Amino acid sequence: MSFVNGIKNICYKLGSNNKPTYVVMAIAAVKGIARPTFTMMDKKEKPETKKYTALREGLTEVIAIPAYWACGELSAWGANILFKEKVGDKINPALIKAKKNLMFMGVCTAALFIIPAACSVLIKPIMSKMGLKAPKTEEDNNPKLDISTNPPQKSPTVQNPIDYAHINSYALYMKRPQNGMKVGGV
Amino acid sequence: MIEAVRNIVASPTLASIAQNTSASVAIETTLKSIGRPGFILIDKDIDGDTKQYAAAKEFLYQATCLLIYMAAIVPIFKKGGFKLAKKYIYKNTKGFEHFNNVREFTRYHKIAENPSLTSRCNILGTEVGYRTSIKPVSEMFSPFLRDQLMSENPEKYVEVKGAIELSNLIGSVLGLAIIAPQLSHCVIHPALRFLGLEKKNKTPEQNSLPVNKEVKPEKDVKNNNSEKKVDITA
Repeated sequence: MSFVNGIKNICYKLGSNNKPTYVVMAIAAVKGIARPTFTMMDKKEKPETKKYTALREGLTEVIAIPAYWACGELSAWGANILFKEKVGDKINPALIKAKKNLMFMGVCTAALFIIPAACSVLIKPIMSKMGLKAPKTEEDNNPKLDISTNPPQKSPTVQNPIDYAHINSYALYMKRPQNGMKVGGV
Repeated sequence: MIEAVRNIVASPTLASIAQNTSASVAIETTLKSIGRPGFILIDKDIDGDTKQYAAAKEFLYQATCLLIYMAAIVPIFKKGGFKLAKKYIYKNTKGFEHFNNVREFTRYHKIAENPSLTSRCNILGTEVGYRTSIKPVSEMFSPFLRDQLMSENPEKYVEVKGAIELSNLIGSVLGLAIIAPQLSHCVIHPALRFLGLEKKNKTPEQNSLPVNKEVKPEKDVKNNNSEKKVDITA
């Protein structure tokens, strides 16, 4: 019976005040466990790739949970600035509504801006501190000469051609590159 | 200005959306499908092809999750949860005896949330299309519920609302974290192939880091080299 009573208590609490942060935090928590587990169960991927992807997915949700909570609670706190706490002896009904609405807006802001921004800023340094780098593809492991990358648009042409026939050999020597291995004298 | 902000912030419509699990999750997922690809696209450390591919993949993932969630998970869990709570948990007490399904409760709750008695009475007096005939709204409810709606403080049936929200919450968690991601994998790759962002023979791993594979024919390479040679010696 305690299980049924527990469900009844949860139903009562959710029915009287269903905070928007509850559901998003619950989704993020389960995603943080389920997504890395599914990734690690994938038999087609390399172990290195699996480890990297699973950690990245897990970290995203680890960042998301506190971000949702903090944004929701901070936004709800903002309602106290806009509305008076009490009207006469009763609690201001507008304040209660404003708290719910602002919490929802905070959660939306977190989903739209704060979490993607925090992930793009934090995940790379955390992963590199943990000694994990993005796994390389076959092309990266066996680099080939990629001729088509930045193909020369124009053939190199000399703007002001030097008339070598009319200058002495010292000047010709000075025009040559002065670094690297040279064969022969002036 | 402050008054306008106050009106928006204390809006009852927004409050009912914020209190509704399925609506808030749907909005949040829609925002995710905009925000995450957007941040991938503005990342300067990734090359253009990878950005395009990753952003399209993220958008398709969130969009398919949302579609699956709205089309299958919400109706199943909402209806199933209500029936389960009515039959086995509350055993037709605590307000469950007045409602046969979720729709009836939602209709009642929408009107009961209105704080003004006069506007509630006005709503009850209006006529709407109901089961192939036009009837006043008041006839949709039992006499007991009608009396409740016309009283100063109508009963909110917190337990019924809570049971619906709990089943929605469980559905959202299971749906968005476990079921939808698995199903979306079947949709994402064909969609990416259709958009020309993924090739059939490539593995997903190779697609995540696209490499420029277009190699010019040897003829052109030779020509380029010969051109260079000619220009340098000139």
